[in-house]
Amino acid sequence: MLPMRPELLKGHLDALLLAVLETGPQHGYAVIEALRTSSDGALDLPTGTVYPALHRLERAGLIASDWETVGGRRRRAYHLTASGHAALGEQRVIWDQFSTAVTAVLGRRPWAATV
Amino acid sequence: MGGHRVTPHVTTHAQMRVDAYLGDLARLMPGPRRRRARILAELRDGLDQAIADHKTDGRTEDQAVDSAIDHFGTPQAVADAFTGELVTAYGRHTIAWYIATGPLVGIWWLLLLQPHPWRAGLVALLTAIPVLPLIAVAIVTAAGTFATTGRLIRWLPEASPVRALTATIAVVALALAGDLTVIMLYVRSGAPMRALAIPAIGASLIRIACSVVILRHATLMRRDRTRLNPEPGGTGRHDAHR
Repeated sequence: MLPMRPELLKGHLDALLLAVLETGPQHGYAVIEALRTSSDGALDLPTGTVYPALHRLERAGLIASDWETVGGRRRRAYHLTASGHAALGEQRVIWDQFSTAVTAVLGRRPWAATV
Repeated sequence: MGGHRVTPHVTTHAQMRVDAYLGDLARLMPGPRRRRARILAELRDGLDQAIADHKTDGRTEDQAVDSAIDHFGTPQAVADAFTGELVTAYGRHTIAWYIATGPLVGIWWLLLLQPHPWRAGLVALLTAIPVLPLIAVAIVTAAGTFATTGRLIRWLPEASPVRALTATIAVVALALAGDLTVIMLYVRSGAPMRALAIPAIGASLIRIACSVVILRHATLMRRDRTRLNPEPGGTGRHDAHR
């Protein structure tokens, strides 16, 4: 699948990151990889998009992070907070409504014109 | 600089390339030093993991480093992407500092300039300490900035980094104006110098010096507005640091 341009995700990146972290704590690079693999390569987002977005979610209190040492490396692992779980639920409802509406419009195809 | 200098399982050459990349990034990022150090440590871990993954996929170490750095983007692009968060963090730290130290300065002036007990009321207080409206505006601006850049952004409209920085500059400028005004009014009042005046004026002079430095930093950051509004998702992936 072709990679998607990051600007297409505007407004939905927060929900995607929260969804990736729903399964358990992950570090930044693992989040990028999880997005890529779970979307068959369509969501191959760059560092400059994902890391600052994670920091913003932490500032908003939707995720929290802990530093740990793994194999001699300092690693920052993110996890969802209670507010993050609630926000993800809200985002799923919004996405369902949004995708239903967009599919209803884009899915309509005009009949082939007769000459 | 360059975060926590540990990149295990790679040669010195690869380590030097990662260090050079993170060093360039460190020079380009604005904002609080401790925050930048944490970002660099986090990115180093991500780069290390990416290099390890590429090596597992069968690439040589040089190719693995190339791919990892290419995927992360140019130092300029990554620094630009973090600028908004760093500037917002800078604004919040600065405002927190003024909120924390404000009472330490204000208490001395309140003790020094408080109206006589028999002259109670807001008018008497404003007459005795005419900078109070400035302080009130600064407090409201600070509270608003904190609310629209922190946990309340789930419910409130989020302040952009430019707006947060502008509000920070306003808070610092108001504190500076307040300190200068209150010292000038006290000195020009011709009132006999009391012992309380020494800590009051001293505390204000220290804050004036800090305010001047902070204003200079914040104004320079704000001047570079293009970095505060980077292209969404722009990464500048390329083959730097090979």
